[in-house]
Amino acid sequence: MTLVSELRAVLGVDDVLEEPVELYLYSKDASLMRGQPTCVTFPEDAAEVAEIVRIAEQHRVPIVARGAGTGLAAGASPTQGGIVVVTTAMNSIDIDVENRTAWVGAGVINLDLSVAAGPHDLYFAPDPSSQSACTIGGNVANNSGGPHCLSEGSTTSHILGMEVVLAGGEIAVLGGQAPDPIGLDLKGAIVGSEGTLGIVTRALVRLLPVEPDVRTLLMDFPTVEDAARTVSDVIAEGLVPAALELMDQRMCMAVENWLQCGLPVDSAAVLLAEVVGETEGVVSQADLIAEIARRNNAFDVDVADTEEHRATLWKARKSAFGAIAQLAPDYYLHDAVVPRTRLVETMRAVYEIADRYDLTMLNVFHAGDGNLHPLIAFDSSDPETNRRVHQAGEEIIAVALKAGGALSGEHGIGMEKRDMMHTNFTELDLDAQARLKEAFDPAGIFNPAKVLPEGSRCFDFGGARRELPDGVWV
Amino acid sequence: MAIAPKTLRDIEAIVRYCSERDYTVQVRGGGMHSGYGSPPVPDFVMSMERMDQVDVWEPDDLTIVVGAGARVETVEAMLAERNQTLVMPERPGDATIGGVVAAGISSLRRGKLYATRERVLEVTMVTGDGRVVRSGGRVVKNVTGYDLHRLAVGAFGALGVIISVCLKLWPTPSGAATVEIAEAGEAAVIARPLAVLETADAVEVFLQGTEAEVEAQAERLGGHFRHGLQWPIDPVGEWEWSLRVPPALTGDALTRLPRDWSFLAVHGVGEIRAASPSAVGCDDLRVWAESIGGNMVMTKGDPEAFDPWGAPPPGLELQRRLVAEFDPRRILNPGRLPGGI
Repeated sequence: MTLVSELRAVLGVDDVLEEPVELYLYSKDASLMRGQPTCVTFPEDAAEVAEIVRIAEQHRVPIVARGAGTGLAAGASPTQGGIVVVTTAMNSIDIDVENRTAWVGAGVINLDLSVAAGPHDLYFAPDPSSQSACTIGGNVANNSGGPHCLSEGSTTSHILGMEVVLAGGEIAVLGGQAPDPIGLDLKGAIVGSEGTLGIVTRALVRLLPVEPDVRTLLMDFPTVEDAARTVSDVIAEGLVPAALELMDQRMCMAVENWLQCGLPVDSAAVLLAEVVGETEGVVSQADLIAEIARRNNAFDVDVADTEEHRATLWKARKSAFGAIAQLAPDYYLHDAVVPRTRLVETMRAVYEIADRYDLTMLNVFHAGDGNLHPLIAFDSSDPETNRRVHQAGEEIIAVALKAGGALSGEHGIGMEKRDMMHTNFTELDLDAQARLKEAFDPAGIFNPAKVLPEGSRCFDFGGARRELPDGVWV
Repeated sequence: MAIAPKTLRDIEAIVRYCSERDYTVQVRGGGMHSGYGSPPVPDFVMSMERMDQVDVWEPDDLTIVVGAGARVETVEAMLAERNQTLVMPERPGDATIGGVVAAGISSLRRGKLYATRERVLEVTMVTGDGRVVRSGGRVVKNVTGYDLHRLAVGAFGALGVIISVCLKLWPTPSGAATVEIAEAGEAAVIARPLAVLETADAVEVFLQGTEAEVEAQAERLGGHFRHGLQWPIDPVGEWEWSLRVPPALTGDALTRLPRDWSFLAVHGVGEIRAASPSAVGCDDLRVWAESIGGNMVMTKGDPEAFDPWGAPPPGLELQRRLVAEFDPRRILNPGRLPGGI
């Protein structure tokens, strides 16, 4: 039997796509890299995924898992061909209020989980800006972050267990509600592995109680450095706010032009801070943050006093990437991360690089984590611009690594950054990671040519003009 | 034979030497977790006590890079001067940072401030075949490459000798109080207390935050509080256990403990540390714990008389393959992990 007919025998005719126009829709994620899938499948449970894995192994074709396709590092682009496994049909949510956990299908949309948990005064902490589109499976694969991971950690800290299909089609349930499962922490290795070690079909997530009170502060500054120094000073003061986000002037102007939400457009930088907890605690913490901001030359400190006001501020922040479509058809984004104490000097260097290459750069990022998102808006139809964009990107990465940072804070390596892995790790480090991959996936069928620098490359940087959807990741 | 290397290069050479000759090595920190598993007598004991340097402490960045042999107590005392904490066990005894990470032991504050595995940002280790490998990075948020460092937490050195770790520190606000309550359910009026602990003597809520915040919380809990955090001691006995159950079943688990056991339960987490004069009644308790998705791990006792781990975890063959990739001759702490790995 052919690959497609075998898959259809298991999944049904409708759940396996093979028409060229259908394949094209699943040929890339939100990155700039396109692949060519052999077929696209929509399994409904782990047993069906296990069958797909067995069939893929027999036919020796790759399997690429895909949630909503909001990833920015080509992790879900089938660059080596093969079967795309779309997880969206696995969308159950089963909340255990007493234990503050939920078993969640890989295809559940991040925001839908918190909406479902809301009536129980619970929420799921990781909140990438794409949360209205991205899936839990994608969050697990990328160890996703988001503004509120500053105090609560990234996705890995919120995955207590998982149902995963491993090599050979073995279905394993790892971890659980009880703390400290015995043996090696396999799920800890799988979270963030970008679909290269197996396919997670359901996740057992931690839900946090909604805090009794919240204060959101919007502060604007005469220079980006003043804002960045405020971030460093807040952390140094021993405060870990729930979120600490920075937007530069160009980004504020783009967002304001699009949403008209009242962002200051005359200041060089805006800082968004949020503190949660008991009322007495949030009041004193908000006061302290305001004081630190004023010490660092803040013009205004605006404290959101209504939920509506707060929602507007966050909408401004999370819509940032959608606003860029006004400026240029494409953007190129890095998410290098640096120690928070090196933020000021790193930002200075990043602006200098953009100026030197004569590129339009906007910044909106998770300042509290030291996670940069320098974004270059450009038109990819001009090869000369592409070259400059690429070179600037490489220099930005080099600056971050020199400051003691790392390649990616939350977007992942995928195919986009795998050839830069040697700048972050030694040969022995990479060899150890390859050994980990080998132990999980001896046949090499799970999302090959991702994360680790090996194999062939398929990069269509020039041909990726596109519209930017609302709420695209970051 | 016991050895106490002073440098990374020494450890590299020792491990390579032992790997080539099939000598087994027990890697030892403070010896606080030596009761886990049932390891055979090793050819060498390698003490990490001299690998105790603080490499980099960035107070303003809330991170520290520290040698595996550094004592938790010593480092916490240093950090306390800047009101920071490792969020590691409150009464660590002789425990070293490498030992706590390798055994995957966590703070009593984990319900709010997360377990040790969530605080490990980077690990440098010497694998069982003598290669120096680093995973993670010195930043608080990082998805660059596979998380070998997470796999090393709780691996009892089976992948490699932990040389140094970078940890995410946490600030310790000045307000702190301990409030005694009648039963654990009363703590529910506080969204996220630092800890809710129960011993045979008392149920106590531990609070930390700004002074005003802590006082307001204590008021809501009934008002009788002591300033500061007086952490209970771990139960001590001939046999010691770590019972792990779904958080909502913590109280249920306590009703199942024989009367002559002492215990320390972490409500909201599902971790119960217990001590007993014998292993009588343990089979039933373990059967129950495993039936609800938990475990009962023997942390001190006679591994000949009672299986230290109980039912092996899922993915055992994969765990074996992983360990074989990093320690092909299986020389580092063999037999410590579940399934005799």
